[in-house]
Amino acid sequence: MTNSGVRRGATALTLVGLVGMVALLWMSFFWVSTEVNQGIVQRIFYVHVPAAWTCFLAIGISALCSGVYLWLRDDRLDRAAMCAAEGGLVFATIVITTGPLWGKIAWGTYWTWEPRLTLTLLLWFIFVGYFMVRNATEDPEKGKRFAAVVAIVGALDIPFIHLSVIWFRSLHPQPVVAKPDGPTLPGDMLVTLLFGLLVFTVLFFGLFLFRYALEDVRLRAELRARRTA
Amino acid sequence: MIRYLDQIRAIVWKDLLLEIRSRERIAAMGAFAVLAGILFNFSIDTAIVRPEDVAAGLLWMTLVFGGLLGVGRTFHIEEQDNALLGILTSPVPKDAVFLAKVAANFVLLYAISLLVLGVFALFFRVSLDANVGWVILVLALGSLGFVALATLFAAMSAGTSMGETLLPILVFPLLVPMVVFGAGATGRLLGGRPFSEVDGNVRMLGAFAFAAVWIGAVLFRYVVED
Repeated sequence: MTNSGVRRGATALTLVGLVGMVALLWMSFFWVSTEVNQGIVQRIFYVHVPAAWTCFLAIGISALCSGVYLWLRDDRLDRAAMCAAEGGLVFATIVITTGPLWGKIAWGTYWTWEPRLTLTLLLWFIFVGYFMVRNATEDPEKGKRFAAVVAIVGALDIPFIHLSVIWFRSLHPQPVVAKPDGPTLPGDMLVTLLFGLLVFTVLFFGLFLFRYALEDVRLRAELRARRTA
Repeated sequence: MIRYLDQIRAIVWKDLLLEIRSRERIAAMGAFAVLAGILFNFSIDTAIVRPEDVAAGLLWMTLVFGGLLGVGRTFHIEEQDNALLGILTSPVPKDAVFLAKVAANFVLLYAISLLVLGVFALFFRVSLDANVGWVILVLALGSLGFVALATLFAAMSAGTSMGETLLPILVFPLLVPMVVFGAGATGRLLGGRPFSEVDGNVRMLGAFAFAAVWIGAVLFRYVVED
């Protein structure tokens, strides 16, 4: 796909995502019914859960592209992995800010060593390591390889981290959607949540493509500058 | 296969011989471990916590920090005179080089972990009567998992401008499973609980260690290729 094609796709997806975000906020503040036990604070859930889902999607894409990059050495794959990791970092930041806000009211404390919260924090640090390694090498090719290895090891370590932090202690609300015996969430809440997942995913891909196109332009400008110099 | 093992053995022997002659890393790690034990002793208010209750956690922290100190320098000595380049251009497969480095580092760190166990038994009145065999096994699995991840990332951070400062940032988030399963099992075992209470932890620790060795052996070639 050409750069202008990527940009058109990015613009379309981001616009749809932003309109969807307004609709999602309207739904979660005015349309969906208030949860009986937790009250109004539960509404943050429609932002928190989709952000968490997007963040895991991002590390999945990043690790997958990194793996194939090490194999094929196509720079586009490295760029995709990097853009996904950047998106992942942003959405992980949303998760670890909205989580404690909810936790302060629901659990009475901003932070607990609750498995999913801990996992997201560690994921955030893995993403940070990814960018530090990338920027700390003089040879960009080396930085790309190093970053790819960090993404792959990080993604493979996630099941272990997940299991271990559950092992350690669990306070987090149990899954309410992805369960063997079907969702237990009331209808309108489920609709809002699923709509949130869709909106966040679309917005993520919009931002992802924008970032990808920007990186493409940046590299070309760099190349041009080097040629004229 | 025999040839492969011979190649690994040659590199392990070279690394251990270097260490025996210079005693650089083992001395640093050993001194660090004992000094950390001393500092931990003064950081605990014995009127509030019993030292033996927190000993397992402190033991694992000493292992992690001391290990980082030693493993972080794995590739340091070989950067002089481009010795690493010599090994990498030799006809030894890259994964054999990695496994050899892991084995040599494991010998070092495991020796240190046994020293730490002894020191903590002395300093913190930890009883080794009940489960010492199991504790030694848990330390072996923990050391193996740690060394595998740390060696891979030590090779990486040696190739960056940040050097060893980057190593903990890369490794610590990934080490959480090792600390949870390892410190959990060690705490119970040192507390005199039966092994059946922690066999899940030990299995997970073993799975983590072998996964770390395997993934390191697969990915090492991409870290050192030039």
